[in-house]
Amino acid sequence: MQTTVFEQVNETVYHEALQNGLQVYLVPKQGFSKTYAVFTTRYGSIDSHFRTRSGEEINVPDGIAHFLEHKMFEKKDRDVMHEFSKNGASCNAFTSFNRTAYLFSCTDKLDDNLNLLLDYVQDPYFTDASVEKEKGIIGQEITMYDDNPDWKVYMNLLKAMYQKYPINIEIAGTIETISHITKEYLYQCYETFYHPANMLLLVVGSFEPEAIMKLIRENQGAKEFPPAPQITRVFPEEPSAPAEAKVEAFLTVGLPKCMIGIKEKENGLTKEALLKRELTTKLVLDIAFGTSSAVYERLYDSELITESFDFDYSSEQDYAYTIIGGDTPDPERLVETIKAEIEQLKQNGIAQDDFERAKRKKIGNFLRSLNSVEFIANQFTSFKFNGNDLFSVVPTLESITREDVEKRLKEHFLIEQMAVSIVRSASPQE
Amino acid sequence: MTASTTEIAFQSSQINGMNVHILPTEKFKTTTIVTMIEQALSEEHVTKTALLAMVMKRASARFPETKLLRAHLDFLYGAIFDVDVTKKGERQILQIYMEVPNEKYLSNEASLLEQAIEFVGDMLVRPYVQNNAFSEKYLAQEKETLRKRMESLIDDKMKYANQRVTEEMCKGEPFALLVQGRVTDLPKISGQELYQYFKEVTTTNPINMFVVGDVDQQEVSEAIRKHIPLERSQVGELQIASTAKDVSAEREVIDRLDVNQAKLNIGCRTQITYKDDDYPTLLLFNGILGGFPHSKLFVNVREKESLAYYAVSRLESHKGILMIMSGIDVSKYQRAVEIIKQQLELMQQGTITEEEMSQTRATLSNQFRELLDSARGMIDFTYNGVISGRPRKIEELLAGINQATIEDIKKVASKVTIDTIYLLRDKKGEA
Repeated sequence: MQTTVFEQVNETVYHEALQNGLQVYLVPKQGFSKTYAVFTTRYGSIDSHFRTRSGEEINVPDGIAHFLEHKMFEKKDRDVMHEFSKNGASCNAFTSFNRTAYLFSCTDKLDDNLNLLLDYVQDPYFTDASVEKEKGIIGQEITMYDDNPDWKVYMNLLKAMYQKYPINIEIAGTIETISHITKEYLYQCYETFYHPANMLLLVVGSFEPEAIMKLIRENQGAKEFPPAPQITRVFPEEPSAPAEAKVEAFLTVGLPKCMIGIKEKENGLTKEALLKRELTTKLVLDIAFGTSSAVYERLYDSELITESFDFDYSSEQDYAYTIIGGDTPDPERLVETIKAEIEQLKQNGIAQDDFERAKRKKIGNFLRSLNSVEFIANQFTSFKFNGNDLFSVVPTLESITREDVEKRLKEHFLIEQMAVSIVRSASPQE
Repeated sequence: MTASTTEIAFQSSQINGMNVHILPTEKFKTTTIVTMIEQALSEEHVTKTALLAMVMKRASARFPETKLLRAHLDFLYGAIFDVDVTKKGERQILQIYMEVPNEKYLSNEASLLEQAIEFVGDMLVRPYVQNNAFSEKYLAQEKETLRKRMESLIDDKMKYANQRVTEEMCKGEPFALLVQGRVTDLPKISGQELYQYFKEVTTTNPINMFVVGDVDQQEVSEAIRKHIPLERSQVGELQIASTAKDVSAEREVIDRLDVNQAKLNIGCRTQITYKDDDYPTLLLFNGILGGFPHSKLFVNVREKESLAYYAVSRLESHKGILMIMSGIDVSKYQRAVEIIKQQLELMQQGTITEEEMSQTRATLSNQFRELLDSARGMIDFTYNGVISGRPRKIEELLAGINQATIEDIKKVASKVTIDTIYLLRDKKGEA
C-alpha cells in the first residue's frame, strides 16, 4: 500500500493496484461519522460502439450504459437496495457520458457494505422479463427529463456543439432506443467494460486504512476473472466547428432559458496539462463573468440576467466545452452582449487585482468542498481517470499566472466556436 | 484515529439579545455562521421578508455597491454568503449564511473569522440606507428578481406540483403561501417601509446565531459582542398560527399544463408535528411507507408495477403534513392512486414485516448520524429543536424510533388522513 500525504490540505491518500488490475484508493477523514464508497467503471453513454471480447465490432442501443446500471441492482433471489437498507446504508448509482458509478454511504457496518458493493457489481444477473420490466421505469425517467427545461437547454447545447461525437446523445437514451435493449446486449457490455482492470474503487470517511485495504484485497482475491480485455472504443472523427449556431425548443417556463457553449478547438491534453487548462479556463470565466465582475453587474443592472446566471467549463481528454447562461427575458440580446463583452475583455486584458481575487476565491472554494466526503468521492475518481490528483488543485492553481489566463482567454473564447441553445414557452404562459 | 462524535453539542449563550450557539470542531476546513431570524408566516409579512432578504445582500454601509461587496467576499477567500427565506411550518425564517475557510489552511491569514463576523454584523446592524430608506435602485431590481423567482416556479414541475397541492390543501392557512411571497404585494413596498420592517425584525423578532468550526468559543463570543451590537430591548413572542386542521372530505384537484409526465401528489394530514411525543413514530411510519428504496411505495409503485421512476413520501415536520409524490403516465392515474391507497391501508392495519421495521430503523439511524458530518445539517437539526420548543438529542430521537412498535405505528397511521389528491397533467385527453 502506497501512502501520499498532501500537507497543505491535511489529507492522506492510500493506494494499491490489485492483482486483477483494480485500482483502490482510500482517503480516511478524521472525526467523520460516515463513510462513502464509490466503485466506478470507465464506461458511460458515449461508449456505444466498440469491439467485444471476441473481437467483433458492434453498435449497441443508445442509453444502454444507464440501463445496465439500473439492472445491476436486481439479482436472482434478492434486491440489492434492500440489502443495503438492512445495514442502514444509503446506496445509489449514476451514469455519465464516460463513467458509471455505484456508491453507498453508511455510518455503521462498513465491512458488510463494502463487500456487498464489490459483490453485486461483480455479479451480473439479467433476464428477459426483468429487462422488459425496467423499460417502464426508465421510460418514466426519460419522460421526466423531457419535461425538465434545464436539462433540455443543456442537452440541446451539446447537440448544437457536437456534430458526431456521442456526447450529443441523451445519457438515458430515448423510449425508442431502449426498446431494442436485450439481456444479450447487457452481457456484452458488461463483459467488455466491467473488468476490474477498467475500474476504480474509492473509500472516503471514517475507517482504518490497513484493515479496509485487507478486506478489499481478500474480497477480490477470492474471485476469478478472465484476463483483462483490450478495450477498443470506436469514436467518429469530430470536426472542430460546432454543428449548429443555434437550437431552440419549447417547454412551459417562467422566463426563456439561454445557454452559450464554446467548444474547445483542440483536444488530446492529458494529466497536468489537462488540469492546468481546466483551472485556467475556470479562472478566466470567474474573472469575466463572476458575481463581482463588471460584466455581471452590467448584465444584471440591465435585467438581461437573473440570479440563475451561471457558467462552467467541462474538460475531458477527448472533448471540452464552456457553458455560460441562465434565465433571460431576451436570449438574442444576451448572446450579442456576451459576445461583445468577450471581445472587449480581450482588448482590455485582465487586471492583476481581478486575477488575484479570482485565485483566492478558487482556493477558498476548493478548501470548502473538502468538507464533503461526497465531493471528494465523486471528484477524486474523475481526476484519477484523467491522470490527476484532486488534492493537487491548490498547488496547480498557485502556479497559474496572469499571463496564462490572458493567453487562455484569447485561445478558447472564440466566436466561431460558439453555439446557442434556447428553451422558451411556445405560447404566452397561462 | 480519533473517535467520531456521536452527538451535536452546541454551547449556547445570550449575546446582544441573540441566542448564540457555538460548536467547536476540528472536522471542517471552514467556519460556518448561520443567523436565523424568525417571523410568523402571514400574508402581511411574507413578501416583505422575502424582499428584505434580497435587498439586504446587495449592499451594506461599508460596501454600498454590490460589486465592492462581492469583491470583498472573494477577497475573504471566496467566502460563501447568501441571505434567503425558508418555510418551517407556519414560520418564515430569514437566514443569513456565511462560510469562510479556516485560517490554518492559509498562509499569512490571521483574522478571516473576525472579518466574517464583522460582515454578518454589516448585514444586521449597518445596512446601506439613504434618508431612512433602502436604496431605490436595489429595491426596484430585487422586486424584479423576486418576481422572476416566483414565476420560475413553473420551470420545475415537481416543485410546482408540490406548491399547487399545498395551496389547495391549506387554503386559508398561512402554510399555503409561497415562501417568496405574492407578486401583487411587490408594487406597494417602499424603501422606507422595508427599512422600518428591517429595524422591527432585527429588534424584536427571535434571532438565533450558529457558529460551527475549529474556533474558540470565547473569541467568537467576543467578536460577536463587538461587531454585532444589536439593540434588542423588547424581543416579543410571535403569534404563530395553529398547524392542526381536521379533514372533512378527500378532495381531488387536477391542473393542466403542457407536460409529458403527469405529477401525482397526495397530501395527507398527520396531526403530529416535531414537538409531539409520537413524532419519532411518525418518522418510522414515513420511512416504511415511502422514505427509502425498500419502502412500500417504491417497491409497489415502481418495482412491482413499473408505473414510475420515483414514488416517495416526505414529511413537513413543523406542519404535520405527509406528502406522497410520484411521476406517472396519465393513463395510469387511477391505478397509481389505488396502489398508494392500498399501501396506506396496510400501514393502518399494521401489515408491516419485521424486516421493514429493522431496515427503516437502520436507514433512519444512518440519516441522522450523517448530519454530524455537515455543519449545515447540525445547525438545521438543532434549530428544529429551538423553534418547536422541543430540543432533542439525536440519540433521544433514535431511541424513540427503536422503541416504537407496530402497535404504535398503527396508532399514528389512524391519524393520517388523505386531504387532497392532486394531479398535474397534460392538455390532451378528456377532462
